[in-house]
Amino acid sequence: MLRKMAVCLFVSLLVFGLLAVAQTSVPETPGAHVGGTLTVGVSQTFIDMDPRIMNSVYDGYIVDAVFDDLVALDPDTLAPIPCVAKSWEVAKDGSSTTFYLNEGIKFHNGEDLTAEDVAYTFNWIIDPANGSPNASEYEWMQEAVVIDDYTVKILNKPDWTPYCPGIVSESAAVVPKDTCEEMGPEAFNLNPIGSGAYKFVEWVASDHITLERNEDYWLVYPNLDKIVFRPIPNLATMMLELEAGGIDIVDMMPAQDVSRFQADPNVEVQQVPSLTYFHIGFNHSHLPSSDVRFRKACGMSMDMDAAIFSIFQGLTGVRAYGVTPAALWAKDREYLQANAIKENDEEAVQIFNELKAEGIIPENFETTIYCPLDPRRVQLSTILATNLQENGINAQVQPLDWGPLLDLLYRSEADPLGEDFEIYVMGWSGGPDPDNFIYYLFTTENAVVGTANNFSWYSNPEVDRLVKEAATCPGCDQAAREALYVEAQRIAFVEDYADMTGYHYIETQGVRTRVHDYHLDALGDIELCGPSNNVWVDE
Amino acid sequence: MFAYAVRRVLQLLVVLFGLTLLMFALLKTMPGDPARIMAGLGATPESIEVIRHKLGLYDPLHVQYWRLISGLFNGQLQAMTYHKPVWTVILERLPATAELGILGLLLSLVVSIPAGLLSAIYRNSPLDYGVTTAALIGISIPVFWLALMLMMLFGVILHILPVSGRGETLLGWSFLTVDGFRHLIIPSVALSSVLMALNARLTRASMLEVMRQEYIDTARAKGLRESVVLIKHAFRNALAPLVTNIGLQVGTIFAGAVLTETTTAWPGIGRLVVDSILRRDQSVVFGVALFMATCYLISYLFVDLLYAYIDPRITYD
Repeated sequence: MLRKMAVCLFVSLLVFGLLAVAQTSVPETPGAHVGGTLTVGVSQTFIDMDPRIMNSVYDGYIVDAVFDDLVALDPDTLAPIPCVAKSWEVAKDGSSTTFYLNEGIKFHNGEDLTAEDVAYTFNWIIDPANGSPNASEYEWMQEAVVIDDYTVKILNKPDWTPYCPGIVSESAAVVPKDTCEEMGPEAFNLNPIGSGAYKFVEWVASDHITLERNEDYWLVYPNLDKIVFRPIPNLATMMLELEAGGIDIVDMMPAQDVSRFQADPNVEVQQVPSLTYFHIGFNHSHLPSSDVRFRKACGMSMDMDAAIFSIFQGLTGVRAYGVTPAALWAKDREYLQANAIKENDEEAVQIFNELKAEGIIPENFETTIYCPLDPRRVQLSTILATNLQENGINAQVQPLDWGPLLDLLYRSEADPLGEDFEIYVMGWSGGPDPDNFIYYLFTTENAVVGTANNFSWYSNPEVDRLVKEAATCPGCDQAAREALYVEAQRIAFVEDYADMTGYHYIETQGVRTRVHDYHLDALGDIELCGPSNNVWVDE
Repeated sequence: MFAYAVRRVLQLLVVLFGLTLLMFALLKTMPGDPARIMAGLGATPESIEVIRHKLGLYDPLHVQYWRLISGLFNGQLQAMTYHKPVWTVILERLPATAELGILGLLLSLVVSIPAGLLSAIYRNSPLDYGVTTAALIGISIPVFWLALMLMMLFGVILHILPVSGRGETLLGWSFLTVDGFRHLIIPSVALSSVLMALNARLTRASMLEVMRQEYIDTARAKGLRESVVLIKHAFRNALAPLVTNIGLQVGTIFAGAVLTETTTAWPGIGRLVVDSILRRDQSVVFGVALFMATCYLISYLFVDLLYAYIDPRITYD
């Protein structure tokens, strides 16, 4: 699944004019062994290694190791912490953020990392001519301007002041300007040169990518000699490799294997609530799904708590009551849970009958629940379809490959109302700010033919206003923003019943016990050496 | 013979041309906008447009078709998701599938021919029942399941073979290094299981058919030793259908490679097909399909020509 990695820096920077200063250093790990090879099993094949065009969480593993981000994330709090930028300052009017860079950082080819490289990285991504798939993460950015060799200012578009998401995503990893221009994007993508802890050595397509220690890494001396990333798309094979010791870390562990590995003394199962949201969506553009009574009756037709438990057995997924994942703030979980629609078949049938009598549900109404080929979402769709059938709605499930599914949900100029669908099951993953979820999935701005993220085309001007205000209000602290997001969610989920909240996925990785100082974070990244840790393995 | 070979090559070219048209039509009618899939969720309309232009999706169909065909032959056709020419992508993976397929085939022949022979010679004996039962199991067991079982037994429980992957290579080949050869064993055994079963059954059936012929009785009446009768007279004549079948197994090997390579993380053409279809990399799908079809057709041609050598009664002139 693709991941939106937009991150809002001003979560921690909204005290305007305040200069954030922090030491960029990594504490020494007592007893750490220097040397050895770490092998990481990855559940998908790699596609890109250039952070500017990389658009997959799996490619992000390589980018994390080879490149340095402008700012990093604290794995526990998800707050931005210094990395290439040692400090930053938000303008009083919120129109820009100035980043002060660490000096002495060198790319793997020996070139100095300067403000020119930072500005080039961002300006390349936002230039439409380059067609970067990450451009949408920087919709708010006007331009990156070089102030001096080690100072760069990022200007926000006027409508987005002081919005600044995306800075912490892997696509904000700094690339060397001169080298990129010399090599061209395609050659650079195959031979990436960053400033990160590990240098790229070789990429044998579909087999492995090898990295080796960057002896001159500016932040810390990396503990590992070598890292091998092995794409193993078959999860059963990957679990056998973990058990046999052929790989040290698996980036994904299926629910059915969790208990087995929890009992294995050689493997540690690490779990963190992820920044994801999966839901049953409704088409708000035409009847009957645009009628809130229909949506509520669908909600009353099934016991979502029981469905989610049966799918995940309480191991790798947790029930969602709002869009904001458990790892984030502005969850309002208690209120939303208390006001969530409960299963009530009798009332559901009564509402469906009323709607049929009013002609809102046509005679011989049949509907199809569309979902991707993901077994969990197929299962959720099937549970809903079965329950709807019991309540008099003829519903079928149609899992689709990504291509036809996006064609359907993105709609077309010829069919902007999406007449072909009423109900779908989809998911979203974002960065560590509620805006990354609420803005993309529930605002009118994102209901656009051909590129919608708000597939339902749910539109409520009050929700739009609250979300915009939360994202751009100068002087707001987190508590003020939280209040706005909470209100927006209450309108969307309790009043409008915009969709049926499903589940948040729990990131689950398996790590051999020979691996130390490795901590899974909510983003599901594989961070091996940086401001927060320096992984090492037993001899 | 020469005239026949030329005729067959010309036929092959016509078939390939028809195949390219068919594949192009399939690619174009396949649902899903490749640009949208490549751009991913949340991509801006501008990004999607840039990719559409890069892919040339707005060009007339005949222009798109010609770009694919000419690009394949002049090496200019780029694999969108691999950022390399399509042929480079295919050739990079070819050794992996070739060595897997060849070893799988050799393994199957080494086991299946003696098994089929013995089964035919000792017809209706416990040995015969054993071989036919094993062959039935071999055909019935899914390749991916067998691969998983082999990985669990030899990789996890016994720790005598690596679980998956290709290991070390020399000049692009795994079988040239000890580590690489050890990695090759499980996938090739898994892939050979179906071929083994098919060939054993065919050898048995063919031998039984031949052994009913009068010339076998004649050979025995002449006082020849039984081993000479079986090997020189019976087996040689039973070989023709077997050779045909082996030639036609190129298709089975490619099909089996898709499952075997995906299960055992073997970086060959089978995995390339799956990855490219999922990513809607039309150039690679087109190139690989054409490559596989060409291999298949050449193997057919080769088998037809080989007939004349194996069976002197067959002539093409």
